[in-house]
Amino acid sequence: MDNLTFAGMDGIIILSVFAIVMLVIGYYSGKGDTNLHHSLSGYYLAGRNLGFIALFFTLYATQYSGNTIVGYAPTGYRTGFSWLQSISFMTIIIGIYLLFAPRLYVVSKRRNFVTPTDWLEFRFKSKAVTLLSIFLMLWGLGNYLLEQLVAIGQAVAGMTGGTIPYEIAVVVFVLVMLAYEWMGGMKAVAFTDVMQGIVLMIGIFVFLAGALYLVGGNFAEVTRYIADNEPAKLGVPPMEVSVNWFSMLVLVGLGASIYPHAVQRIYSAESERTLKKSFARMAWMPPITTGLVFVVGIIGIMLFPGLDTAGSEQLVGLMANKIAAINGFYYWMMIIFFGGIVAAIISTADSVLLSFSSMLSNDVYGKFVNPGATEHKKVMVGKIGGIIAIFFLLMIAWNPPGTLYQIFVLKFELLVQVFPAFVLGLYWKRLAAKPVFWGMLIGAIVAGLLTLTGYKTVFGIHGGVIGLTINFVVCIVGSMLVTVSAEKSLKKDELAVLELEA
Amino acid sequence: MKTKSVKEPIRKKWIWILLFINAVLIVPWYFPKGAVEPFVFGFPLWAFISTFFTLIMGAYLSWLCISQWNIVEEEEENAKRKEDVKHG
Repeated sequence: MDNLTFAGMDGIIILSVFAIVMLVIGYYSGKGDTNLHHSLSGYYLAGRNLGFIALFFTLYATQYSGNTIVGYAPTGYRTGFSWLQSISFMTIIIGIYLLFAPRLYVVSKRRNFVTPTDWLEFRFKSKAVTLLSIFLMLWGLGNYLLEQLVAIGQAVAGMTGGTIPYEIAVVVFVLVMLAYEWMGGMKAVAFTDVMQGIVLMIGIFVFLAGALYLVGGNFAEVTRYIADNEPAKLGVPPMEVSVNWFSMLVLVGLGASIYPHAVQRIYSAESERTLKKSFARMAWMPPITTGLVFVVGIIGIMLFPGLDTAGSEQLVGLMANKIAAINGFYYWMMIIFFGGIVAAIISTADSVLLSFSSMLSNDVYGKFVNPGATEHKKVMVGKIGGIIAIFFLLMIAWNPPGTLYQIFVLKFELLVQVFPAFVLGLYWKRLAAKPVFWGMLIGAIVAGLLTLTGYKTVFGIHGGVIGLTINFVVCIVGSMLVTVSAEKSLKKDELAVLELEA
Repeated sequence: MKTKSVKEPIRKKWIWILLFINAVLIVPWYFPKGAVEPFVFGFPLWAFISTFFTLIMGAYLSWLCISQWNIVEEEEENAKRKEDVKHG
């Protein structure tokens, strides 16, 4: 998006407006709530009291980042129609939620969980499992955050035609984010998500409308063009792509549903009714989010034929330039749209940061360093720890270490290894701590090594999925051999909660 | 809690069998390689069918959330009503 010349000063104005709105929302969500900063669940889970609108939009804006647009359209451009998988893998996430969210919601309310680790600690009572899962989740979250930080800078620099340099853009928006998060915690994150989510939704629709206008309003013509010029992007994909598609369904479905910030949204719901209504609506979002972005990518094949990989990464910017040139309405809509992309990235980054802070507060500090601290102090440690982490990640983003940079790419591959402990543990009482630990560790090592040595996929199957399979096998076979079951490790009242009887 | 009214998706096998079949139908492994024609609404047939089943999955999951998930809802809504009566 280096050549985005349509914005400049107008872009700066829109971005400033967005920033101010976010700050105002943050200020009002924290105002008058004295409990907010003195309680872990008040600050990190909005007092477990998120209503339908806030919960739905915070699920939406967290799940769909600005990257979903800026990154997925070029992927659609390069791979063609097989990128339809982006709709299905975002949809199946809701199916995986149905596997565990209903029971986890009830257990979390009864036992006042704040972080995903609280659940694992409750279930397995094992320091090793707790520590390893904290490590995997913090690592995954940190890298996810890093990716968002890089994306903010690129989007802003693109939008303002380089008027605002990359570094300044990132620092300004990070400060805005830190400020509203400091003032309102999860409440601020969720309420800003409402605004950020709406802007993103409208933006995608207008962007698609503009793209369709550019090709004469006829999508069939686009496919005819592709059939004549690049038939490979249109035909039934080869078997390896289909295998990869299945693998994506598993990796994204399982990985995205147990992202710590996703799990904490289950904890934050005001009621079961609110939660299931929000998920029911979320199931409809992939077609009108990744689905529309996919169509944009396909249209790009006709509008900008022959771009190489690096060139295609600029697709959204190139297209926005053309759309903005249509007329005054589209010009302003494109500026707002780019502001929306920045907002969407921030809405994802703020949730990840909050989740990261909560794990520092509640898990690292609260479980291992100073369990006796007051909740106010724990919240404080998380807030400050989060700020330190952000600036550490910024340094990495700006001075990427040459060869080691690869380890900052690992996210899903590592995070997803928590899945067996997390979900199997809810229903299978024999699942024991030791096998869970070894499964998680071996799975993470296999997944990490495969990815780092260049085998991101083997015959189309992701390293993360291979690691996860081994992880499951170790957990299940190991637990059959070990005699300790949940009946022995859990107290009677704890078992009753788990079985939904209490 | 009355166990009679409790609905939890994990306890129903058919939910997961249908979901699995749905996922298998979304991925276009069962079409002959490279086939493009015929076009339906500008989509090659395989892509159209795949998208169709993706939409079915969205509808199915949405319906499951609303109708097959009910663990503490009545309890919570009753408690809320009582609370409202007390305050209002």
